[in-house]
Amino acid sequence: MIKKLSYCFFIIISVIFLAACQENANAPSDSTTENDSNSNESTTTSKSDQLVVAMPADVTSLDPAVSMDNTAWKIIYNTYERLVDYDGATTNIKPGLAKEWKVSEDGKTWTFYLEDGHLFSDGTPVDAEAVKASFERTLAVDNGPAGVFSMISEIKVEDPLTVTFVLSETFPPFLSTLAANYGNIVNPKVLEHEVDGDLGQNYLASNTMGSGPYKLTEWKKGDSLKLELNEHSKLKPSITTVLFRVVSDPSVQRLQLEKGEIDIAEGIPVDQIDTLKELDNVTILQEPSLAVDYVYINNKNGNPALQDARVRQALNYAIDYDSLVSAVQLGYATQMHGPIPDGIWGHDKSVKQYNYDVEKAKQLLAEAGAEDLTISLLYSDNKTWWETEALAIQSNLADIGVTVKLNKVAYATSREMMDKGEFDLALGVWSPDFGDPYMFMNYWFDSSYHGLAGNRSFYTNSEVDKLLREAATNNDQEARQSIYKQVQDIVLEDAPYILLYQKDFILPMSKEVKGFVYNPMLESMYNLQDMSK
Amino acid sequence: MLKMIAKRLGLLIFVIFGVTLVTFFMSHVIPGDPASMMAGQRASEETLQSIRAQLGLDQPVWIQYFYYMSDLLSGDLGTSIRTQRPVVEDLMTFFPATLELAIVAFIIAILIGIPLGVLAAIKKNTFWDHLSRVFSIGGVSIPVFFSGLIAILFFYGILGWLPSNGRISVDLNPPTHITGFYIIDSLLTFDMAALKSSLQHILLPALVLSYAQLAIITRQVRASMLEVMNQEYIRTAIANGIKGRLLIISYALRNALIPTVTVIGVAFGSLLGGAVVTETIFGWPGMGKFVVDSIEYLDFPAMMGFTIVISIGYVLINLIVDIIYGLLNPQLKR
Repeated sequence: MIKKLSYCFFIIISVIFLAACQENANAPSDSTTENDSNSNESTTTSKSDQLVVAMPADVTSLDPAVSMDNTAWKIIYNTYERLVDYDGATTNIKPGLAKEWKVSEDGKTWTFYLEDGHLFSDGTPVDAEAVKASFERTLAVDNGPAGVFSMISEIKVEDPLTVTFVLSETFPPFLSTLAANYGNIVNPKVLEHEVDGDLGQNYLASNTMGSGPYKLTEWKKGDSLKLELNEHSKLKPSITTVLFRVVSDPSVQRLQLEKGEIDIAEGIPVDQIDTLKELDNVTILQEPSLAVDYVYINNKNGNPALQDARVRQALNYAIDYDSLVSAVQLGYATQMHGPIPDGIWGHDKSVKQYNYDVEKAKQLLAEAGAEDLTISLLYSDNKTWWETEALAIQSNLADIGVTVKLNKVAYATSREMMDKGEFDLALGVWSPDFGDPYMFMNYWFDSSYHGLAGNRSFYTNSEVDKLLREAATNNDQEARQSIYKQVQDIVLEDAPYILLYQKDFILPMSKEVKGFVYNPMLESMYNLQDMSK
Repeated sequence: MLKMIAKRLGLLIFVIFGVTLVTFFMSHVIPGDPASMMAGQRASEETLQSIRAQLGLDQPVWIQYFYYMSDLLSGDLGTSIRTQRPVVEDLMTFFPATLELAIVAFIIAILIGIPLGVLAAIKKNTFWDHLSRVFSIGGVSIPVFFSGLIAILFFYGILGWLPSNGRISVDLNPPTHITGFYIIDSLLTFDMAALKSSLQHILLPALVLSYAQLAIITRQVRASMLEVMNQEYIRTAIANGIKGRLLIISYALRNALIPTVTVIGVAFGSLLGGAVVTETIFGWPGMGKFVVDSIEYLDFPAMMGFTIVISIGYVLINLIVDIIYGLLNPQLKR
């Protein structure tokens, strides 16, 4: 038996090593180069019509009516089309499937005129019926995206290319929500794949049925996704194949980028960015993002001392913002100025910004009679930098005599605790789904959004509520802007949160990649149709 | 022997029942709400309630368990909350990848570990013994995330011999699904390109994974070889003029392997479970990453499905270990 085993051993080992000493099969080989079996060199020249993106995690459901996940959205966004789109790098809206639109005086009726000639990847025309069916499906699936459209009361087909949405209440950001991922139009034929009344959810979880420039042609689960051209699309992009590869380890991504095996590396943390800058074939895109990092101060159920605005202000003054940004994000972030980040209309440099002032903080605590305060700080391992951030905050607050007990729990648990208000302080991130200050102001400060929905500090101020609801139902942008200014002044005095910083968006990519336009509203999504190599 | 196998398989049903009971209730006691994970960053109470109702989470736990078990009996492991796909489908995608990696790593560990252990025993306290000790102890001491990265840096980064990521080249289609093992499937379908690519891809992760288990096997083989070599019958054999390979392999190793089999069985279990880190570093699309993601997402159906498959695996490994025991030591056949 042992003799046989040792023969097997030699055969297996020699086969493996013979195979091993061949050319690296993982590198995308040049289409004209056949494998040269004597070569030990790895082929790293990539095809000019193929883009390879390394992402840290695999995609979950691709159903636009279900997915609330940025990773999935990067596939969804290029395989579907929406009525309207974000214009270039801005949060302005431009025509998409709809060439024009109009809104009624009261802001409740929106009519869209579709451009003729858009086809789904199977050749089915994108008409008003399809738009209606797609939105009705999203509402019927009743998952996360349906929540965003809860104000739609009726969808009417006026003629094959005209569709009208009737809203139950005026909702000025409506147009902006249509440009987001929830607004993707699904081929009505999805219902042919319905199983047990699931409206095709199981099928759409791993397939695409849209009219975007690309379609999903292959998904090796846990490994890679391949997009190829939708031959029925009006757009003819120069990149014909896009490969999204799951590469979880940042060091491996770095090596692959260095060797030209991948074009874009999405999962490289800030502490490795500087070494990448030294590479000749790599360029690093750095732009302000709309993702913000902040601390929820529990205004209602936490330590009673936190119900005093002076204590919350003291905490705001106690943070050394500059050091925090350089310690936690290595400088790839900017201190927030007001709750609305720079890049969205409504951002206002004239509102109050807290600065690092230990004396002032101590004085405020003394006034409130809360010198020997002990509070907890809740966070999870969902963001790699939270541990460092929690420690920095703990040390900052210790300087003003506040003892912080760190409470690190599993991500799912932290979400439940935040929803129920079981914390004193908690770390959080927020990024907008649509380009409107509503995303920050109404969600964060309106008392009807208490808990996970947005107002995670359980802040209640009836005047703020009144003003915010007025802003949410007014179609006049200037009027809304001035209301939001008023609210910002109030909430900065009330200090229900500690506003930390606005993160930078950093993307290392090969210098060969051209035409990528970063839109802060479409974080982690690519304008593949305009890109080339 | 057959009676023992039948009895063990019968026992499997109870094991599975116990495992489902414990894991189901434990996973429902953990604070956390899968509905809120599914509904995204910000979810209103209405949306959460609607999702909870869709998932049946608004029912009492024991009713949920009842539904789960009745589905399980008809072979339905439910739908994953995270991926929205049937759990059976996900398991069939990810489990063979992990099993293939573990088996190849296991074969490498045995093929290197046993000879190394024998070498260390017969060359006791010589240079070879020390070398084998240093080499094998290195495996348990160096964490996989480190040895993995070093292996990638060397074989992919510097030499460019082997790929760094994945199970098969992205330019190739996986072989037709027969067993789910790429190596076997590509052999069965004579898909030589796929065979070559999958061998290239599995080599590094399997080597790294097996290295961690090597010490256990080597040290065990060395210890039992030394013990056996001191026994009466070996001395008799030597006195009768038996020597060299015949003595070591047929006389000594056969008996020395009996205690080793148990250790090897445990090692295989650890390989299956310990593949998580290796899979992450090498981007191996297996169960490891899938399960970690499922746990973070509180994806009960996926967690349960995984637990059931792994517990069946453990029971079967134990059974196989006992069968091999019997084959090696006829006395145990009774």
